[in-house]
Amino acid sequence: MKATRFTTFSLALFITLSLLLSGCTSSAKNQYFGQTVAPSENVFRYITGSEPESLDPAIPNGQPEARILMALYDGLIEYHPVTMEPIPAVAESWEVKEGGTEYIFHLRKNAKFSNGDPITANDFVYTIRRGFRPELASRNASLGYYIKYSEAYNSGFAFAKGTDGKFLLKKDFVDMVEASTPQEATPAGDSDFHKFLDEPERLTVPTSDKDLLKLTDSDPKLKTALQGRELVPVRAEDIGVEAVDDYTFRIKLYQPAPYFMGLLGHQFFRVVDQKVVEKFGDRWSRPENIVTSGSFKVLEHLPYDKLVVVKDLNNWDAANVKLDQIEFYPLDEQTTMMNLYKSGRIDAIYNHTVPAPWFDQVSQYKDEYLLSPENASEFYVINVKKPPMDNQKVREAFALAVDRDAFEKLRRTYKPLVDFVPFGIYPKYEEARDKIYTQELKKQGSSLDEWKARKFNPEKARKLMTEAGFPVQQSGSGWSCPSFPVESVSITYNTSESNKSTAEFAQAQWKQNLGITVPIKNMEFKTFLPLLNKVDYEGFGRRGWVGDYMDPYTFLYLFYSPNNTGATGWWDPKYDRMLDEANNTIDEQERYEKLAAAELYMMQKQIVIPLGVPGTSWLKKPYVKGLYPNPGTLHPWKFVYIERDSAKWDKNVDNLMSEKNPVVEEQVSAIMRTQEEFVKSKQGETKSAPVE
Amino acid sequence: MLVFILRRLLLIVPMALLVVTLTWALIRVAPGTFYDSEKKLPPAIEQNIRTKYGLDKPWYTQYWLMISNVAVGDFGDSLKYIGQSVNEIIWRHLPYSATIGVLAYLLALIIGLSAGIIAALKQNSRFDYGAMAAAMLGLSVPNFVLGPILVLVFALGLYILPPARWGGISGLVLPVITLAAIYAAYIARLTRAGMLEVMRSDYIRTARAKGLDEKTVLLKHGLRGGIIPVVSYTGPALAGLLAGTVVVEKVFAIPGLGNIFIQSVLNRDEPLTLGIVAFLSILVMVFNLIVDISYGFLDPRIRYE
Repeated sequence: MKATRFTTFSLALFITLSLLLSGCTSSAKNQYFGQTVAPSENVFRYITGSEPESLDPAIPNGQPEARILMALYDGLIEYHPVTMEPIPAVAESWEVKEGGTEYIFHLRKNAKFSNGDPITANDFVYTIRRGFRPELASRNASLGYYIKYSEAYNSGFAFAKGTDGKFLLKKDFVDMVEASTPQEATPAGDSDFHKFLDEPERLTVPTSDKDLLKLTDSDPKLKTALQGRELVPVRAEDIGVEAVDDYTFRIKLYQPAPYFMGLLGHQFFRVVDQKVVEKFGDRWSRPENIVTSGSFKVLEHLPYDKLVVVKDLNNWDAANVKLDQIEFYPLDEQTTMMNLYKSGRIDAIYNHTVPAPWFDQVSQYKDEYLLSPENASEFYVINVKKPPMDNQKVREAFALAVDRDAFEKLRRTYKPLVDFVPFGIYPKYEEARDKIYTQELKKQGSSLDEWKARKFNPEKARKLMTEAGFPVQQSGSGWSCPSFPVESVSITYNTSESNKSTAEFAQAQWKQNLGITVPIKNMEFKTFLPLLNKVDYEGFGRRGWVGDYMDPYTFLYLFYSPNNTGATGWWDPKYDRMLDEANNTIDEQERYEKLAAAELYMMQKQIVIPLGVPGTSWLKKPYVKGLYPNPGTLHPWKFVYIERDSAKWDKNVDNLMSEKNPVVEEQVSAIMRTQEEFVKSKQGETKSAPVE
Repeated sequence: MLVFILRRLLLIVPMALLVVTLTWALIRVAPGTFYDSEKKLPPAIEQNIRTKYGLDKPWYTQYWLMISNVAVGDFGDSLKYIGQSVNEIIWRHLPYSATIGVLAYLLALIIGLSAGIIAALKQNSRFDYGAMAAAMLGLSVPNFVLGPILVLVFALGLYILPPARWGGISGLVLPVITLAAIYAAYIARLTRAGMLEVMRSDYIRTARAKGLDEKTVLLKHGLRGGIIPVVSYTGPALAGLLAGTVVVEKVFAIPGLGNIFIQSVLNRDEPLTLGIVAFLSILVMVFNLIVDISYGFLDPRIRYE
C-alpha cells in the first residue's frame, strides 16, 4: 500500500517536473534560440546528415556527402552560394559552341591539389573517364551520359565496324531529333580526336551475346546491318573529353543539354589526383592517403563521430577562404541535432531537420530558422498498369479529391503544388508555363484558372469517378463509392513520421470526398524501393524528388525513356520527343515553352498526384554569414564565415535570400570577373571579325 | 573443469558459423539491395555493380566464398563504406560501446547490489519499499524517455552537460546514467529476491547456529548464493552492452557498434551485418561460458566434471 503511494507520488513528481521544464524551454523570451555565442576561432560546426559512404567524389550519390565533397574538391565550376548558378572554379572561363554540344573550359594556371601537384586539363580527362569505368561501378555515372560515348563505355558497348573500315551510324537506326543549329565548320589544325568527336554519332551495341541477341531479335534491320561487322569495344579514350592543352579542356555532348553547365558542380565531375587514385586503389580516399582539390583538406576522420577539414593553403582561392576549419558531424537523429543546436554546440544543420513538434517553437526565431522553396517536389506516383488505376478518369478523380491547402496546414513547411516542376525556383520557366498552359488549355476549351483550381475540386472528382464507372453516392452526411475495388489499391510509403501523416491525410481526404477508404501500407525503405522501381505496388506510392541540377528538366526527365525512373509504368514516345525538341532549342525562353508543353502533356495523363513543394527548413546561428537556404542546400563553404561583431549578426531578416551581404557579393563578383571579361573579349572579337 | 571449458570453446566456432549462415540467408530473403536508391539505376550500372561485388555468381558460389572467408575471420570490405574492412569497423567502434557499456554496468552493479542487499535485509521497511518502487520506475521508464528528460534538465535547462556527442568525461555522464538505470533496477530486484531466498535457507541457519557473526554469515555465505541470479544475468547483459545499445547511441550520438549494426541492416550492408552478428554471437557465448565457470566458484553445490 505504502509502495503504491510512493510510486504514484514519484510519478506525479516526474510528470510535473518534465512538464515544468518543457514549459520553461518553449517560450521565446530571448531573441535567439538557446545558447548563442560566436566561437572565438574560425571553426564552423555543421551537421550534414548520415556518415559519408566514401570521400571519393565519384562514389556517393547522397546529399550529406555532396556537401562534404564540395569542401574537399573543386570542379570546373562551383555553385553560386545563393542562386546555385555556375560560377568559375578551376575553370576561370568557358564557352559553349556547336549548337550547345561543345563546352570549352579555360583553366586557371594556379590550381593545385592538396599535395601541391598542379591541376591541369589532363586531370579532368582522367577524372571523368574514371567516373565511367565499368569496374568503378559508380551510381552517379548516368548523370554524365550526355557526354559523347560515355554511356556506351560505361555499359560495355561496342562500335560496329565494317570491312571497309566504316562504322554504323546511330541516325540510321534511331529516330533522332535534329539540332536546330547547324554544326560549325571544323577549324584547320584540329586534333584527330576532335574530328572523330565531330563526326556523326556512331551506333553502339551491347557486346554480351545475350543482350546483342535480344536487341537484334527485336530489330531485323539492325540484325542484317550487323552481319559481317567487327564489334570494336568503346574505350575510355573514345569518350567526349579532351585536354586540348594543359589548360584547355573540351567536352563534347552527343546532343545539346542546356543545363549541362549547372550539372558540372556535382561531385561526380570534381577533380581527383590520378597518381594517388592509382597508387592506393579502393583505399585512396582514406584519411592517410587522400589528396583533395578543394578549399579544404582532410585533417581527421573519425567515422560516425566527426570529419574535420582544414583550409588548404595550396588551393587557388585560399586567400578568400574565410574559415580555418569545418567540423562535420555525421548525425541523422533530428532531436539530437536540435539539442546540440540549442545548447550552442553546433552552428548550423542541414535541410528538413526541424522535427514537427519543434516547429512552432523554432519557427519564431526568424533569423535562425530558414524556410525557402526547394528544388524538390513531393507527390504520389500511380501505378498506371494495374486496374482500376489504368483509367485516367479514376486517377484524375483521386488527384482532385485532395485538398492541398489542408495539406499545407498539416505539413507546415510545404506549399501546395498542382504541377510537377516546383514553383518559386524557376521564375522564367513559370512565366513560360503560364503562357503555354493558357494557350493549350484554351484550345482544349479550358483555362489556366480552371487548371489551377485542380488544387482541390471534390465535385469534379466525384463526377469523374462516376463517369469512370464507379458511381459516388450521397450517404448520410458523406459519400460512398461501393463499387470501387479498394482491395486493389493502397497507399504505400517508406516508414517515417511525416510520410505516415501524409498517407493518413490522403486516406482521410479520399474517404471524405469520394467515400473510398484506401488502405495504407508502410515499409522499411529498402523493402519499399524495389517495389517502387519495379512498379510492383498497387495504387499509390510515396515519392519525393530532389533536383540534381537547376533546370526544370531534372524533374521532367523522370518520365523520359521506356526505362525511366518515374516508377509509374507510364512511358510515351511523344513525351520523349517533346523533351528532345526542347533541349535542341537554343533560345532559353523558347526551350522553356517547349518543356512546359511537355509538362502539361504529362500532367494531363495524371500519372502522379502532386502534393507540395517542400521548404528548406533548417537552422543556423545568427553569427554564421555567407550560408544561404539555396534551393539545393548545397553550400560552397569558402563563402561562409563567423561574424563576431554582434551588431552585424542577422537581425529581423525577412528573407535571407534577398538580403544583401557586401562581403559575399564582393567575393562572388571577384570570382565571376574572369568569365565576364572572357565573354566581353569574345564579343569584341565577333564585332571586329571580318565578315566572310 | 578444463575439459568442460575446452569443449565449450570448441563449440563456439561452428555455432558462430551457423549463426552467420542463418543471418546470410535472412539477408538474402529480405527485399532490397545495398545499391537501391530512389533514383532507379540504368541496367548497365546495376550490372557493373553486380559484377564488381560478385552478385552475378550463383548463390551457392557466393555462399561458399563468404563462409570460407568468414571461417578464417575475414569478413571483407563493407559495401556501404568503400575501402573500409568490416574487422576494422568493428574494432574501431567497439571501444565506444564498451566504455559506455562497462561504465553503465559498473554503476548499475554498485547501485543495484547495495540497494538489493539492504532492501532484503530490511525487508518491509521504508527503505525496502522506496528502493523497490524506484526499481519499478527504473524498469518501466524506457531509456528513450529517460535520456531526453536528462538532456532536457542537464543540457538544455542547466547547460552543465553536453546533450550529445562523444568527447570528455562530461559527455559520458548522461548516456551512462541513462543506460545504467534499467540494469540497476533489474539487479536490485534480482539481488533482493536472491538474498531473501538464501537468507531463509537451511545453510544460513546452520551458519548462524555455528555462532558465526552476522557479517560473515551475510558476506561469506549469504551473498555468494544470493547473487547467483545476478551473475547469470550479467553474462548476456554485458555482452549486449559491449556490442552497443541502439537507443542510447542514437539519442546521444555515440559512434558505437549498436547504431552501426542497425544501420548496416537498413543499408543492406551484408558483410558488415554478418561481421557484427558473428562478433556478437561469439561475445554472448564467451560471456555465458564465463558465467558458467563462475557458478563453480560461487555455489559449492555446482561442480564441473
